[in-house]
Amino acid sequence: MKAISATGVHFTYDDGTEALSGIDFHVEEGEFIAILGSNGSGKTTLINLLVGLIKARAGRIMIGGQAIGELSAEELYQRVGLVFQNPNDQLFAATVEEDCAFGPRNLNLPEAEVQQRVTESLSAVAALPLRGRAIHHLSFGEQKRVSLAGVMAMRPSVLILDEPTAGLDPAGEAQMMQLLKKLNREEGLTVILATHSVDMLPLFANRIYVLDQGRVLQEGPSEEIFCHQEMIDRAKLRLPYISRLMYEMKRHDGVPIDGLPLTIGEAREQLLELIPKELIIAGMGEKRP
Amino acid sequence: MFDLFSDIFTYRDNALARIDPRAKLAIALAALVAVVTAERIVLPLCVFGLCLGTVVGLRIPAKLIAVRLAAPLSIVAVLVVLQTFLTGATPIFAFTLAGWEFTAKAEGLRQGMLLGARVLGAVSVVFLLSVVTPAHRIFQALRWFRLSRNWLEIAVLMYRYIFVLMESAADLAAAQKLRLGYTTKGRALRSFTALAGATIVHSLEQAERTHNAMRLRGYRGVMPFGPLPALGRRDRMILAFCLAGIASARLLEWGAGR
Repeated sequence: MKAISATGVHFTYDDGTEALSGIDFHVEEGEFIAILGSNGSGKTTLINLLVGLIKARAGRIMIGGQAIGELSAEELYQRVGLVFQNPNDQLFAATVEEDCAFGPRNLNLPEAEVQQRVTESLSAVAALPLRGRAIHHLSFGEQKRVSLAGVMAMRPSVLILDEPTAGLDPAGEAQMMQLLKKLNREEGLTVILATHSVDMLPLFANRIYVLDQGRVLQEGPSEEIFCHQEMIDRAKLRLPYISRLMYEMKRHDGVPIDGLPLTIGEAREQLLELIPKELIIAGMGEKRP
Repeated sequence: MFDLFSDIFTYRDNALARIDPRAKLAIALAALVAVVTAERIVLPLCVFGLCLGTVVGLRIPAKLIAVRLAAPLSIVAVLVVLQTFLTGATPIFAFTLAGWEFTAKAEGLRQGMLLGARVLGAVSVVFLLSVVTPAHRIFQALRWFRLSRNWLEIAVLMYRYIFVLMESAADLAAAQKLRLGYTTKGRALRSFTALAGATIVHSLEQAERTHNAMRLRGYRGVMPFGPLPALGRRDRMILAFCLAGIASARLLEWGAGR
């Protein structure tokens, strides 16, 4: 079943800027989808349409098989949750606990259920020890996780994240992506993330939508998307660094690389096949799983 | 600038921090009433000394105490000077400045000192409350006093976003300084005006984004607050004891004046 389906969606801002023109965007339940695009490509506008913050000028958006306009706010936001790029935009309560409890209390749940949801959502993002802390005393990475917990407490089946790794250090970025992977694979959440950070996507995303100037340039799995160098250039994006290195070795140095590795693991396997076995010193390397 | 709003000390564990915020707020309100209605300077000054001593005992940095008390102390100074020279009849001394004759009067000085002592006493009570109780717990306590939900909602949001806007303003001010925005008085004035304008614009944008985030989590115009637990026996006893103490002190002061 489709978790989200947008067909022929157009959106123009009041100043006449055409942000989206004829977008088709479909997500199956349990998928991990990335919306990839440069600044101004329409990612945030598409996200805002999917959560009903703005209304499409033309086209149809369905959430869980129902038209978005037919759903009440309560129904909609228990199906779709949005995590903003800047956690300060959505952490408005004084403490972590109060912020996470905001959504469940708006649903008029009994207090015991509210507390249970707060505990569960904070545990899911490894932020339970932060429960009593003031929001403005948290680090940026902690704020990101707590803002995710606040949305999770609504128990949406679809989680949309706008640039979830923006502003995080490399360790924080990896931690956030692993967390999203866990929520997707173990909790069964459908995850849609908008990003222009490409390096980690091949490890996590089932499919990628590439947006440019309000249109979908291409859609498909990572290996399909990143083999179109011209399209990637046109969208003002880049290949993952490891793929770029392998691409240059293939093109300029004639290294016989099969296809285009997208992850360090794939690249390592290919290079090991090319290196004569006698050059590899036994027992020197760490064994990898 | 940041020290003025810093609440890091409210999260320290101590005997006062462990008291229920409702009890602390009720005690503070009673102390405020006693101080503001005092007819002699002894009671307000005692309250000031007690609160200041407690704050120092809690090892609150002297710099923070100085920053927070700077504004009220200035008000006290102005009050005493104005009252001394503008009210009363019995002259103490006189002098002439730029052709104007100024005469200090005994009744005015007494009145100024009383008003000043009231301000100091009241401010020190609020200061002590603010260093032993996090703001969100004071807001919770205010709900117990049946304060308007709308007012509380605005207060909670204001308190949360003061820190965000201060960070944004500090970044802007640093960017202005790095481009020589404060090297002359004229430039400083222009830079400060631009900073104030930008901060207002940021606050409006922030308000819109926050409202969107609230809507996405089911906000329908009323911010939900969690239930308040019953006031514990220990806190009820502390409250009763302190209220009795404040009332006795006030009555004693009233009796001494007769």
